[in-house]
Amino acid sequence: MAFAAILLVAASAGLFAFNRAKGLRRGVGRLNSLPVYHAIHAAIWAAAPAILLLTVWAPIQNGLVEQAVLASPAGQALPDFEMQRDSIIGEAREIALGQRAAGFNPESTTLAPVYGAAMSRYALAGGLAAIVLSLAGAFFALRRQGVQFRARTAVERWVMGLLIGASLIAILTTLGIVLSLLFESLMFFSKVNVGEFLFGTTWSPQTAIRADQAGSSGAFGSVPLFWGTIFIGAIIAMIVAIPLGLMSAIFLTQYAHQKVRAWLKPILEILAGVPTVVYGYFAALTVAPMIRDFGIAIGISSASSESALAAGLVMGIMIIPFVSSMADDSIAAVPQAMRDGSLALGATRSETIKKVILPAALPGVVGGVLLAVSRAIGETMIVVMAAGLAANLTINPFESVTTVTTQIVQLLTGDQEFDSAKTLAAFALGLALFIITLILNLIALRVVRKYREAYE
Amino acid sequence: MATRYAAERRFRALGFLAVGISVAFLAFLLFTMLAKGIGGLDLAFLTGSDSTEAERAGVWGALKGSFLTILVTMGLAFPVGVLAALYLEEFAARNRWTDLIEVSINNLAAVPSIIFGLLGLAVFLNFMHLPRSAPLVGGLTLALMTMPVIVIAGRNAIKAVPPSIRDAALGVGASKMQVVFHHVLPLALPGVLTGTIIGMARALGETAPLLMIGMRAFIVSPPQGITDPSSVLPVQIFLWSDEVDSAFVEKTSAAIIVLLLFMLAMNGLAIYLRNRFERRW
Repeated sequence: MAFAAILLVAASAGLFAFNRAKGLRRGVGRLNSLPVYHAIHAAIWAAAPAILLLTVWAPIQNGLVEQAVLASPAGQALPDFEMQRDSIIGEAREIALGQRAAGFNPESTTLAPVYGAAMSRYALAGGLAAIVLSLAGAFFALRRQGVQFRARTAVERWVMGLLIGASLIAILTTLGIVLSLLFESLMFFSKVNVGEFLFGTTWSPQTAIRADQAGSSGAFGSVPLFWGTIFIGAIIAMIVAIPLGLMSAIFLTQYAHQKVRAWLKPILEILAGVPTVVYGYFAALTVAPMIRDFGIAIGISSASSESALAAGLVMGIMIIPFVSSMADDSIAAVPQAMRDGSLALGATRSETIKKVILPAALPGVVGGVLLAVSRAIGETMIVVMAAGLAANLTINPFESVTTVTTQIVQLLTGDQEFDSAKTLAAFALGLALFIITLILNLIALRVVRKYREAYE
Repeated sequence: MATRYAAERRFRALGFLAVGISVAFLAFLLFTMLAKGIGGLDLAFLTGSDSTEAERAGVWGALKGSFLTILVTMGLAFPVGVLAALYLEEFAARNRWTDLIEVSINNLAAVPSIIFGLLGLAVFLNFMHLPRSAPLVGGLTLALMTMPVIVIAGRNAIKAVPPSIRDAALGVGASKMQVVFHHVLPLALPGVLTGTIIGMARALGETAPLLMIGMRAFIVSPPQGITDPSSVLPVQIFLWSDEVDSAFVEKTSAAIIVLLLFMLAMNGLAIYLRNRFERRW
């Protein structure tokens, strides 16, 4: 409601400024800026500070409302147990907002009107303050308007602020990821030893819901998870992706006709565009049973229908376009003179590739492989659907292993409250994953950048 | 001599084989999905909502949820991405701070998508108390994920505009801001749009971050607005793949066909736009 009022003030201020500018122009003959800039200037000053106030007020308002509710007589009567109190307050909020009719706890129904009253009180205060700010802004802008006023410069300053704000969102996102992961992980490490997490070899994340529950011993050793991730993503998938990707790139750049390349390259790009959930379903539905039958046929009796090989195979195929396109770019960047020189000396095309072009393109190819490994490690859906949940330290590719990403999904889509060590473990795993992929990406970009300078 | 030529022929055959294996796998996948799912594609499937009975399950709720989520994603990621790209290419000085921004954008583009899901869970759900499983939260999370892609595509498109255009505009008397918004941006727009559509296609197929923000529940009625709990098509596929009833195999495959058709349409649109509107300077 306050938002609509602000827009109204801004629109009328803008219209007023527009007409005044046109009048001034008729009188004086020429203004510095077009009338529309005067109008935009007035509208921005009327709208922007007020809207900023509203966006900052919203979280503050939540805190103030909770404080008021806790201080009220109904709030004092709430139980002291923090988790239950928070859930009652949450339900009261949802009832007051009309999102649900009644909560599980009876106290929330009595608390809801108190919550609603506090909410409307503070919302009114915030809304009125915003409208006052909007009027003040409009007044300020209209006062500045004059014959000599450089409206376009003022508007352009606002636009520059908008551009800088947009760029800062990128940094804010990275900061947000790091901070939120760190925060939750630190809470996790206060419950579970860091050493046990990093070096322990048993992963059995059960925590007690009640104090006397049996089977409540939690083992949070993440080594089997990282082994599973590396086994599927960095070993099996790369055994598939590197030869196929590299040879595809070589074939496309060196041997294929222009016309063949024109439609073959998009087909490889389609491989990259297929959603990973489709790959995962295909792996679970078709590839995994085939692998299991094959494994049993060659005598491995422990072959499971959720094997590391199935997930790794499909993931490798998914990664082929990444390796292929990076290799393609680096091979194409090798100067033609080197290739021509080698052919002129009598080498065949394959010898030229193996002895001249590939060594020259190697840094780019290595960078591409590292980026592909980083992609494979962070991949979730294929392993969730095709690999298993059992943490298993094995070299047998026909057995089922679990990965870091599978466990993150598993831990966070269950029915655990947010503070338990089980759900916090997911954030610790996420932090580890983020750090590993960050390091891989930095190394890859560094390698590629160093290579780019060699031929310039 | 002959051995060298034989090696050459073998090598070339290996290259052809590599490409052949990739294409064959893709064909195998598409064929399997078509074979298993084509029977389930009918009007009732496309307009019906999710259900526990395989015969009545449809994708309409998931389609509407996907549409709303993509709307929020693009509404947030496109303006922020384009404006950030403009600032970084045209206005920013080359100092340590802008280098830091550039490095962090490049890293964000390569972060696994599940990390964005964790971020969405921690910030949007637990800190800001936004409604679980709503297109608003899903769109916000996916927007954070898509924005770096749009920034990178935007920067390349803006870099491709020749300096003569900028100099001519300045020479005629435009301010720097007017040069950027009246001359550079319209010329760079086709490239930006191509990158945006490709980013949008990626966001449409994402599952893991949306699972993190709670879209794992069973939603019966289609969402009415961006704050109603909903599902999206890839998550629906994932949920159906877990079902024990084997009749869901046909439904899942049919849903996959629908998803692949959307991806094909969007990538085709991007390629068409690129060929039609992009200028080679």
